[in-house]
Amino acid sequence: MFGFRSAPKRAKSVAAVVIALGLSAAALTGCSSTPSGTDSATKGAITWWGWTPEIGVGKQYIAAFNKVYPNIKVTYKQVATASYDAAIRPALASSVGPDVFNVAPGGGIGSIQAYQGSAVDLTPVVTKALGSDWKTKLAAIGPKGLTTSTGKLAALSVGSTFAGSVWVNPTIFSKYNLTPPKTFAEWVSVCQAFASHGVTCFEQGAGDPGFNDDLLHAIADSIKPGVWTSAVAGKTAWTDPTLEQAMKVFKSMFTDGIIQKGAVGVQQYPDVNNDFLAGKTAMVMMGTWYMQYSTLAGATAAVSAAGVANAKPFPMIAIPFPDVTGAGNPAPLFGDADYGLAVNTKSSHQKAAETFVTWLGTNEAAQQVVANSLNDISALTNVAPKWADIKLVDAAQQQSTLQTLIAATGKISEARLGDVGTALGQAIGVATSSVAAGNATPKAALATLQTASKG
Amino acid sequence: MSSKSGRGVARRRSFLRPTGYAWILPALVFCVGLLYYSVGYTGYISTLDWNGTAPDPTHVGSANYGRAFADPVFWEAIQHTVISFVVTFTISTILGFVFAALLHSRPFFGGVYKVVLFVPVVLAPAIMAPVFRQIFANDGQFNWLLDHLGLGALAQPWLAQSGTALGVILAITIWGGTGVTFILYFAAMGQIDPELLEAAELDGAGNIRRLVSIIWPNVRGTTIALATLSAIGALKTFDIPYLVTTGGPNFATEFLGTLIYRMSIPLGAVGYGAALSILLLLIALVFAILLNARRDKGEGRNDA
Repeated sequence: MFGFRSAPKRAKSVAAVVIALGLSAAALTGCSSTPSGTDSATKGAITWWGWTPEIGVGKQYIAAFNKVYPNIKVTYKQVATASYDAAIRPALASSVGPDVFNVAPGGGIGSIQAYQGSAVDLTPVVTKALGSDWKTKLAAIGPKGLTTSTGKLAALSVGSTFAGSVWVNPTIFSKYNLTPPKTFAEWVSVCQAFASHGVTCFEQGAGDPGFNDDLLHAIADSIKPGVWTSAVAGKTAWTDPTLEQAMKVFKSMFTDGIIQKGAVGVQQYPDVNNDFLAGKTAMVMMGTWYMQYSTLAGATAAVSAAGVANAKPFPMIAIPFPDVTGAGNPAPLFGDADYGLAVNTKSSHQKAAETFVTWLGTNEAAQQVVANSLNDISALTNVAPKWADIKLVDAAQQQSTLQTLIAATGKISEARLGDVGTALGQAIGVATSSVAAGNATPKAALATLQTASKG
Repeated sequence: MSSKSGRGVARRRSFLRPTGYAWILPALVFCVGLLYYSVGYTGYISTLDWNGTAPDPTHVGSANYGRAFADPVFWEAIQHTVISFVVTFTISTILGFVFAALLHSRPFFGGVYKVVLFVPVVLAPAIMAPVFRQIFANDGQFNWLLDHLGLGALAQPWLAQSGTALGVILAITIWGGTGVTFILYFAAMGQIDPELLEAAELDGAGNIRRLVSIIWPNVRGTTIALATLSAIGALKTFDIPYLVTTGGPNFATEFLGTLIYRMSIPLGAVGYGAALSILLLLIALVFAILLNARRDKGEGRNDA
C-alpha cells in the first residue's frame, strides 16, 4: 500500500528534477539564436570577425558601405592574429558565431581548409554582381585560393598580398652611406658594414614558420622560378638539387652574418616588425601588406604602435629580393588573397551579410577604398590606387617603387601559402629552423619535407 | 521499532522531496554539466578525425591514441613535463625553504624581502613573457651582464637553441613559483613549537643541524603539498612556454598543454588534441593517486 502511494510521488520528484535540469540547461543555452524571419538584403545588423584589416581600415570600409546601404549595421571585431583560430573555431561551431568571417587560403591562420564547411557558396551572388564572366573581372589569385576542391566559392577576396620583396629603411642606409644589396656578396658586405656600426642589418623571425617559408621560397625561385610551387604540388622532389642549393643559401644567410644571431628565438610578429618600425634594423622580409606603412597616417600609427614615443615616420621602400646565386632570374614574388570574406551558414542575416561581402569584394567604389588604403592589392583588376588621394611619407622616394611593386604583382600567379597544407607547413617550419639553428644539414632537413609531403 | 522505521521513512521522503534536489541542483548542473560532461565529450571527440567545425567527422576508434604513442613530440612533451617537475620542485623547494628559514631569523627589512620574494607570483606571465624574451635575446640584458662580468664566452642566444631554451623556461617558472613555496614554508615554520628548537639548541644543535633534523621533518606536510602542486603545475604548463618560445625551437620547450593547443587550434586536429587531453587527464590521475598513496603511507607511518 505504502509502495503504491509513494511510487507516483517518486515519479513526481524525478519529473521535477528532470524539468529543473531541463530549465537549467535551457538557461545555459538561452543565448542561442533562432533564424530570423526578416532576413533582408538591404536591412539588418551583422557582425564581422577578422584578424585583418586594422580596425581603422575596417571602419573606413564600413563607413563607405553605409553610404550605399545605410540600413545594414556592420560591427567589425578585429581578433588578434594569434587568437583568431582559437576564437573562430568554437564561434562557428556554435549558433551565435559572426555573420561574416575572414578566411585565408592555405593551412595557416583562418585556413579555408578548416572553415569552408561553415561558409555559404558565394558563386550566385558574385555572378549576380559581376555577371557570368565574373572571373575575368577579378584577380585570378583571389578565387583560386578561396574555392574548395568541390568548386564552392567559400569566400570573396577583398584584395591580395604578395611576399618575396625586402623592405628597407633608407634613412639608416643613407646615414652610413650604404646602398641596398642586389647580390649575395653585396648583402654580406652591407651587413658587415652595418655590424661595424652596431646596427642590425637584416632581421628575420626564424622562429616563425610562415616567414621562413617566404625566405626559402624566394631563394628557391630566384634560382629556378616555379620550383617551390612544383615541390609543394608534389611534382618536384624536395630533395631536388635546386632546393638543396636553396637550403644551403638559406643556411649561409645565418652563418655569413646576413641574418642576426639568435634569429630562431625571434618571431616576425611582433619582434621583427617592432624593431623595423622603431628604426632598429635596416632590412626585413615583409610583403605588400607593408605598403600601408608608406602612408603618413599608416606609418605614424605603426611607428607609435611599435613603442616609439613622439613617433616620426620614415619613408620605407620595397626592394627586389637580391639575386642570391647570380642566376639572373626576375625577382621572386608570390601571393594569395590576403583574406576572403565568408558568410556563415548559420547566420540569421545571410542576405545582409552577402550584400556586405559582395559590395566589398566587387564594387568599384569599395575596391577603390581598398586600393587607396594600400593594405591589399585590390581584387578588381581595373582598380588601382589613386595616388593624388594618398599622402605618402615621402612621395618622391616611395611612389615609383610602390607603383613598380603593384605592377609586378599583376603578373603573378604563384601562391604564397595557399597551396601549403597544415602538416607540410609545420614540417617546413621545423626543417628551416633546424637548419638555421645548425641542428640539421640542408640535405637531411629536405628529406623530412619529402617524407611529410608523402604523408 | 515502529517509530524508528517511521523516522527512516520520513528521512527517505525528505531526501526524495524536490526541494532537497533544488538545493544541490546548481552544484549538480555545474559539476555534471560542465566538468564530467566535458570530459565525456572530449573522450568522444578523441575517437574522431575532426577539425572542430566540419559537419562530417570521421570515426577512427583509437587511432588518435595510437598516433600519440607513435608521435615523438608527445614523448618529448612528457619528458619536458617530468624534467620540469623534478627541476622546478627541487630548486623551488630548496630556495623557498632557505628563504623562509632566513626570514624567520628576523633580518633587517624582513618585510621588504618578503614582498620582493612574493612579487613574481603576482605578476601575470603574459606581462612578464616579453620582458624575459628581451632579457634572454641574443642582444639581451643577460648576455650583456655576462659580458660585463667577464663571462662573455658564455653569452649565447638562449631562446634560439634547443639545448638552452628549456633551461630558460624552467628558470622563469622557478622565478615565478618560489614565492609561493617560500610563503608556505614560512607559515609552516611558524607552527613549529619553539620549545622544540630551544631544546635542540640546548642539546648543542647548530643552525644547520636544527634545519635538517628539526625544521625539515616538521614541514614534511608542506613539502608533500608543494610536490602535489608542482606536479599539477608541470602538467598544466602552458603560458610560459607558449608566450616565451611558442613551444620551440623545434619542440624543445613543448609541453602537453602547448602540444594540445597547437594540435587543436592552429593545426585543426581537434580529435587528436582531444586524445592528448584524455592522456593528460589519465597521467594527472596517476600522479594524484601516487602522491596520495605516498601521503597516506607517510601518515600511517607517523601514526605508528
